[in-house]
Amino acid sequence: MSSPLRTPMPSSDQTHPNPQVRLSVEQASYVYAPNPSQAPLFTLEALSFHAKPGEIVAILGPNASGKSTLLKLISGALEPLSGRVFLNGFATHSLPPKIRAQRIALVQQESRLLFPSRAWEFVLQGRHAYGRRLHFESEEDINIAKNALAQVGASHLSDRWMDQISGGEKQRVILARALAQQPLLLLLDEPTLHLDIGAQVDLLDSLRHLAAVNRYTVIVVTHELNLVGEYADRVVLLQKGKCLRVGSPASVYQRELLEQVFQAPLTVEMTVAGRPRVTLLGKT
Amino acid sequence: MRPLTLGRLLLRCSFLAVILFVVVVIALKLGAVQVSLYGLGRDLIRVLLGQSSAISSDYGMIVVDIRLPRILLAIVVGASLSVAGAGFQALLRNPLADPYVLGVSSGAAVGSILALMLENQLALSPEFAGLITPLGAFLGAAITISGVYLLGRREGQMDSNTLLLGGVITMSFLQAIITFLMSTLAGGNLRGASFWLMGSLSTLPPKSLLYLVGIGFVVAAGAIYTTASDLNLLLAGEREAMHLGVDVPRVRIVVYVAASILTAFAVSVSGSIGYVGLLVPHAMRLLFGSDHRMLLPTSAFGGAIAVVIADTIARTVVAPSEISVGAVTALVGAPFFIYLLRRRLS
Amino acid sequence: MLVSSSISAARAAALFLVCLSSLRAQASSPATPPQPVTREVVDEVGRRVRIPVTISRIVSLAPSLTETLYTLGVQDRLVGDTVYCDYPPDAQKKVKVGGAIDPNLEQIAALHPDLVLLTKTLNRLDTVRALDRLGIPSYATDPHTVDQIISSTQKLATVLNVPDAGKSVADDMQRQLAVLNEKLGPLPPKRVLFIVWTEPLISVGKNTFIADALRKAGATSIVDSGQDWPQVSLEEVVHLQPDYLVFASSHSGAADNDFEALANRAGWRILDAVRDRRYAVISDAVNRPAPRIVSAIEDLARQLHPDAFPPALPRERRPAGSTEPLHPEQNPVTMRSMRLPGSTEFSCAR
Repeated sequence: MSSPLRTPMPSSDQTHPNPQVRLSVEQASYVYAPNPSQAPLFTLEALSFHAKPGEIVAILGPNASGKSTLLKLISGALEPLSGRVFLNGFATHSLPPKIRAQRIALVQQESRLLFPSRAWEFVLQGRHAYGRRLHFESEEDINIAKNALAQVGASHLSDRWMDQISGGEKQRVILARALAQQPLLLLLDEPTLHLDIGAQVDLLDSLRHLAAVNRYTVIVVTHELNLVGEYADRVVLLQKGKCLRVGSPASVYQRELLEQVFQAPLTVEMTVAGRPRVTLLGKT
Repeated sequence: MRPLTLGRLLLRCSFLAVILFVVVVIALKLGAVQVSLYGLGRDLIRVLLGQSSAISSDYGMIVVDIRLPRILLAIVVGASLSVAGAGFQALLRNPLADPYVLGVSSGAAVGSILALMLENQLALSPEFAGLITPLGAFLGAAITISGVYLLGRREGQMDSNTLLLGGVITMSFLQAIITFLMSTLAGGNLRGASFWLMGSLSTLPPKSLLYLVGIGFVVAAGAIYTTASDLNLLLAGEREAMHLGVDVPRVRIVVYVAASILTAFAVSVSGSIGYVGLLVPHAMRLLFGSDHRMLLPTSAFGGAIAVVIADTIARTVVAPSEISVGAVTALVGAPFFIYLLRRRLS
Repeated sequence: MLVSSSISAARAAALFLVCLSSLRAQASSPATPPQPVTREVVDEVGRRVRIPVTISRIVSLAPSLTETLYTLGVQDRLVGDTVYCDYPPDAQKKVKVGGAIDPNLEQIAALHPDLVLLTKTLNRLDTVRALDRLGIPSYATDPHTVDQIISSTQKLATVLNVPDAGKSVADDMQRQLAVLNEKLGPLPPKRVLFIVWTEPLISVGKNTFIADALRKAGATSIVDSGQDWPQVSLEEVVHLQPDYLVFASSHSGAADNDFEALANRAGWRILDAVRDRRYAVISDAVNRPAPRIVSAIEDLARQLHPDAFPPALPRERRPAGSTEPLHPEQNPVTMRSMRLPGSTEFSCAR
């Protein structure tokens, strides 16, 4: 198929005893208070977990549980109040913007464009992090962008206008842009919100494949219990700013725990492959 | 997949440069006084070869000493306003932004009125006298720029929406001050009112000022151009741009200061000429696309062409009298703006 | 580096080269013929200017100066004037260089004047500076009183090498004013409001030549302001209750309409002068600091102090369209309705 997208590995790993670990969140916390004199609006309490290359980690929880905040800490958009977030030994927040964009790619749900652009233009934006201050895209950039579109199965959308394609197609192009960044860490914020079930499965399948082939570390923020159960290698369960458990889906999906977090009666079964499946029960 | 290449950019710019050249030649030929093309060409060549003293015709002096500086001024002003307009549209992520939306021109007007009042009190030697008003305008603009920047911050960072609000409020406030000053000044100073309302290129500036504005343009426009790739991404939203590798705070400051300087310079020598900064970038987007690496240079050329044409119309249509440049740009600009709006909506 | 930036830099550099060369061109004043003998004069705003001794081509940038040139008899040397220079009618035939505020520099330069005349109040400093930069000599006048108009005219005549004509005009004007002064001397001055504009209400300041003209006509402006064109409040006017309203108009019919419109407005109705229809209309010569102002002064004096001018002599030549009362005792209202036939030609104050 298409060649894996790779960047040279960054050098320093000395701070980490385990070279296998790529992302290390260590007792990171955050407090959001617009006014120092007022009580904080939201607190994300200190939590820790690790992620390896090729892994898919799901940040799972109901609304307002702190998922987005945690994602922002991982992406380096926010600086943790305490503790640290390390990507291959570098604190994500302190990375210069260009370097950070070469290591971390964020896929958001929607992309508002002021002036319309074509899909290929959109994907090429992912190469911005690799150019000098004012540069024109090179052959290599173009090839990488083409590659990225192919990897998400959206090559046929290359010349289409972004505001004229469907939600699912747009999602793929946005993902292609992230791939064009050749990141180590691929972050997705509620990627399945606007997708139908088939598209959701397609997306997660692609992510699993890409993580394996390109050795990405994928972090997905979501509240979709069954998708997480089926595809994630590791789950970080959050509720109201607290991390309740970290581990494989099988270990995290305990009925009492899930019922408490999601406030809904449910049952948990194990499939043949060792993956948990959650069935919601109606309130009687 | 055809991304922008350097070759395409140079080609488009050369094309526009040729158009600009033709427009300039026509503008040099037209005027209250008739000039022949042959004589024009001969005199211009003499000037370029440094043999200006050989120009004996009256027309030579008119062309070289009066029309040429005026046209050069029009070029710099038009280019400055258009690049500033494109910059502000990207910075504020608002297609309706123009160089004056943040109140820079009102600040310049206040500064120049105060300078005019001061000038009447002092008796200055001729070399300085001509510079007092533009200097006052520039200082007024600079103070406004700083003030609006401070107003436009949220959580210590420049925020587009807050900036826009701050700018609009500042502009209204300054307009009120202008009205107040105008109504309390002695009659003689009221003559300047139309200059600030409608813009004018008819005052022959001292050569030093022309150089200064030109250098200012090159420096400021160059600074904005270094952020051209970043601006493409900034349009998608600041969060996204940051995650794609744009140093958002740095880009914001550079564009804000550079675009404000461009506007301040333009306004201090020519008053507020409207519609150029707003519409030329849109026209260039229609023709050449939204990529800022192409948009900024083409806007510069487009603005220069537009203002030279507008100024030529302004000074020939009712010769020997003149109408103001701003009136011409408004008359042409407003219908074009309506056309653009309808295009976007359809 | 950035290619596009270097392109624009190169373009800018080319343009500046042209600029630089034109700077050199200007320094050597290429267009004027070998310099005639020049002398230095000081104009009325204190500028030291070098002007040619022989001045054969003059451009006037103010209607008052155009009129003055005609009065001095040097109109043949006038090669260009503004679109507002309408008196005498012959002035309208001269080449026009635009307005007073925004004259067309090209047109002025093309006329190759030896001297450009301007006034401080009407013209702009930027115009003077531009002319300096082009190497065209300019001379500015700035009279603030009627006496200064006379002396200004004489000085100008000297600059233009017609001192005799200047003295003659000055003497005429002084004689007429002396006669007027004799007639009006013992009489108390009428308190008037000189109306420049009604919406907003603008009058003249005490330091203007118009205010001085009013004084010479046996009137005194009720507005006591240091500004040139002060805006006055109607309340203040009502409080002061002027004896007369004074309008300046090139068209007496238009002024009458103005008054009628004004008379019906609230606030204005309270004025005694409006109720009794005590208003005077004089020609707009009063707005121009030129010799013709004396005739306007005289006209105003006649309207304000009819008793001082007994109609003993047969009708003298007086300005057409004048509303000078034929029989002073008659009701002024009927006077207004008498339109004297005639052209719009005004006679000179000779």
